[in-house]
Amino acid sequence: MHETDIHDLSDDADYAAASSKYCWTMWSLFVKLLRLDVLRLGPNPAGLLGSSSMTRNDSSKRSSSSDPEDAEVVYLKDNVTIHPTQYASERVSGRLRLIKQGSSLFMTWIPYKGQGSNARLSERDKNLYTIKAVPFSEIQSICRHSPTIGWQYVIVVLSSGLAFPSLYFYSGGVREFLATVKQHVHIVRSSENANVFLVNNFEDPLQRTLSSLELPRSLANGTPSSSFRGSSSDGNQETQEDSVSSVQRNNRQRQKSHDPARDLSIQVLEKFSLVTRFARETTSQLFRESLVDGHGPTEKRKNNWASKENQHQEAALNDVETVPDLVPVAPDPLEFDKLTLVWGQPRQHPLGPEEWSTFLDSEGRVVDPNALKKRIFYGGVEHNLRKEVWPFLLGYYAYESTYAERQYAVSVKKLEYKTIKNQWQSISPEQGKRFTKFRERKGLIEKDVVRTDRSLSFYEGDDNPNVRLMHDILLTYSFYNFDLGYCQGMSDLLSPLLFILRDESEAFWCFVSLMERLGPNFNRDQNGMHAQLFALSKLVELLDSPLHNYFKQNDCLNYFFCFRWILIQFKRQKRSENLLREFEYDKTLRLWEVLWTHYPSEHLHLYVCIAILKRHRVKIMGEQMDFDTLLKFINELSGQIDLDPVLRDAEALCVCAGENGAASIPRGLHLRCPSRMAPCTNSKTTRCCEK
Amino acid sequence: MASRRRMLLKVIILGDSGVGKTSLMNQYVNRKFSNQYKATIGADFLTKEVQFEDRLFTLQIWDTAGQERFQSLGVAFYRGADCCVLVHDVNVMKSFDSLNNWREEFLIQASPADPENFPFVVLGNKVDVDGGNSRVVSEKKAKAWCASKGNIPYFETSAKEGLNVEAAFECIARNALKNEPEEEIYLPDTIDVANARQQKSSGCEC
Ligand SMILES: Nc1nc2c(ncn2[C@@H]2O[C@H](COP(=O)(O)OP(=O)(O)OP(=O)(O)O)[C@@H](O)[C@H]2O)c(=O)[nH]1
Ligand SMILES: [Mg+2]
Repeated sequence: MHETDIHDLSDDADYAAASSKYCWTMWSLFVKLLRLDVLRLGPNPAGLLGSSSMTRNDSSKRSSSSDPEDAEVVYLKDNVTIHPTQYASERVSGRLRLIKQGSSLFMTWIPYKGQGSNARLSERDKNLYTIKAVPFSEIQSICRHSPTIGWQYVIVVLSSGLAFPSLYFYSGGVREFLATVKQHVHIVRSSENANVFLVNNFEDPLQRTLSSLELPRSLANGTPSSSFRGSSSDGNQETQEDSVSSVQRNNRQRQKSHDPARDLSIQVLEKFSLVTRFARETTSQLFRESLVDGHGPTEKRKNNWASKENQHQEAALNDVETVPDLVPVAPDPLEFDKLTLVWGQPRQHPLGPEEWSTFLDSEGRVVDPNALKKRIFYGGVEHNLRKEVWPFLLGYYAYESTYAERQYAVSVKKLEYKTIKNQWQSISPEQGKRFTKFRERKGLIEKDVVRTDRSLSFYEGDDNPNVRLMHDILLTYSFYNFDLGYCQGMSDLLSPLLFILRDESEAFWCFVSLMERLGPNFNRDQNGMHAQLFALSKLVELLDSPLHNYFKQNDCLNYFFCFRWILIQFKRQKRSENLLREFEYDKTLRLWEVLWTHYPSEHLHLYVCIAILKRHRVKIMGEQMDFDTLLKFINELSGQIDLDPVLRDAEALCVCAGENGAASIPRGLHLRCPSRMAPCTNSKTTRCCEK
Repeated sequence: MASRRRMLLKVIILGDSGVGKTSLMNQYVNRKFSNQYKATIGADFLTKEVQFEDRLFTLQIWDTAGQERFQSLGVAFYRGADCCVLVHDVNVMKSFDSLNNWREEFLIQASPADPENFPFVVLGNKVDVDGGNSRVVSEKKAKAWCASKGNIPYFETSAKEGLNVEAAFECIARNALKNEPEEEIYLPDTIDVANARQQKSSGCEC
């Protein structure tokens, strides 16, 4: 079952040409990864063909003892290979399988263990690419590429818009693969591109990423069109067809009325983004060593031969070409919460004390703050280390400060805190009687701290001293920043800080730092929040225009359903506090420290919103949720937010949006509300508690 | 009857932060009180099926944040309301003084068809506290204000003890129903939904 000859593979000609020509920058990598288009667009400069001496086909082995009993392997193909880099030695071969379990079809691709001795990839790196049982309900489309030279390969794109790396079928079998898929799930040829087989949904622009990979050609030649026909040729999914597919039809009609130029620009954007992401990933994951030690590709190009296999496939392709058009598959909305697998950079284990010490010099300075932020972005911080690391992330400690400097600063800040605290502590009851604003502010804080995270043991019980501390810190803050004062939601932001830092003054100053970032969200006129929601709508428009159009048509463009997410940074999704577990709380802490790194964007929280929305987009649109239902749905997503995949999606979306994304976010959102934001309706009469 | 379309009655609860809006709603819908409900951020709603004279209705109760600076959000939630509940804490004078602002704000933002006759209900909550000893808003004072605003029905409640909550919401539901266009009340069991929607929107959203 092991494929052995991997190192013997010659490079694709374009790889070889590329390796000498481009320097190792992101950009060149991006260009290189676009080689597919280059290849299609022009003759191969070297005119060389790839070789393979290993066309062993193991598809007769159809069982595996490790499979669950009720699962049946319906397709198995060995020597299906990914090319994470241009080095032949870094290709990873594995076994592709389609597994049928009940009525669901899954795809797996498992890399072989222990390949040739010159394989440069560690087992761990290889495992990064493992595809563990992806249900087809989560696959949006499969794109087949049949270059005139080299192997046929497919790209599998998930509903989330992310794609697995290209799967090269060294031993042929693409046609059989597609035919098998077709036997078990409905697939339909894209009208935009005959090589794209749509599995689930039609209207996600990220799905069009695939077809957009064909863009240069379709621009040159016109797009081959094959239209959807509304006839059902297979009874399998008919029962689900009704409402959802009619939504899709409507969507499609809407789609048609789009400005084509705009769609085109989206496609270009997406084309860029998907590849960029792939490039970045391969860069960071796999090239690092070779970049550092200067290893170039030493493999020589070898024999070039056109694989007969390939020619066979080419001929056989026509069988697939004649697949009759199928009715769009109505995706099962219930299936969509299960999305667990995305193609993204895997999350790492949290930063621990030993590794942390490597970031510090002998006097305690953080030598490379960016490396630290990146590290924390991908893994978070171990619980016990948070106390030490959070003040840096929040900007309370300066990265370049020494141990001694910090110690000194902390003691100074402690005194300063006491001074500010004393400002309200010294207000006598008599004075308080004549100080309505103070009484009201205090009253509001008192009411809120007793409603904040009380089910945590740290805050539970009557007369809990930590609840008291929260009260004191918030009231002190409202004197420190008297203009902003106290606003609901602040207690939710403070509670984790106190819980981690276990020190009144430290928690206060870290809260001050946090409010430097989030303060505008609490502005009296709420313009900060309006700006956030506005930016969110712009980003969704950019990244998922069908979803955007859906919101538009359903009067949901104000995005108020995301208000809570943004204001308290995804904390406490559950309505009933009793259900809050320390575990849930810990997830919030992890998410926060990741957001605080501001890597890859200070607006990552917006991409997190979109990642979550996209995970549920089919449900939202399929069930035709109106504003009320949507709000309810989102309020109750409660704790079902699966952090790691959401963060990976968010990162991917952020990269996808790229500069266009950054441009969508009103400048200065972070500091103050931009004047171009539509003013909120502010017809209210003065209410004394706030003035 | 399965074919019967249930009518949706939309109710908005307003009042200063901490007067007990979330608690009242949960007491009515879930018959539960917890002193650990969180401060409401944004908005949420609960629904409850109610029956009047052989007809079923869905009462959709909207709970919004009480802090004033969140009010600009109101527009999105107030629209299409059939009844507005104004809550104050009988132990906090300011929460009572705010009622006028809440009412005006609602009328501006929801812009109901007939503001003069739009149904409000006022609840004086937390009457249980301290056996009534810390009370600062008397029943008389509250009723006088209600009378001056077109005879708004008034209830004294305790979300904590479930006192008067059921009765108050029954009144709220009836008033919401009154606000619906006449003809809808006598709709036959099976109706043209699209048609009915039009009626509804012309009835209360313009
Ligand atoms: N004793 C007593 N306490 C109550 C009653 N109703 C609410 N409370 C308490 O008052 C506090 C505020 O109640 P909530 O229901 O959260 O208030 P709210 O009006 O929803 O407040 P916001 O969400 O901030 O606008 C909580 O601590 C409740 O436990 C009541 O009838 N009696
Ligand atoms: Mg509330």
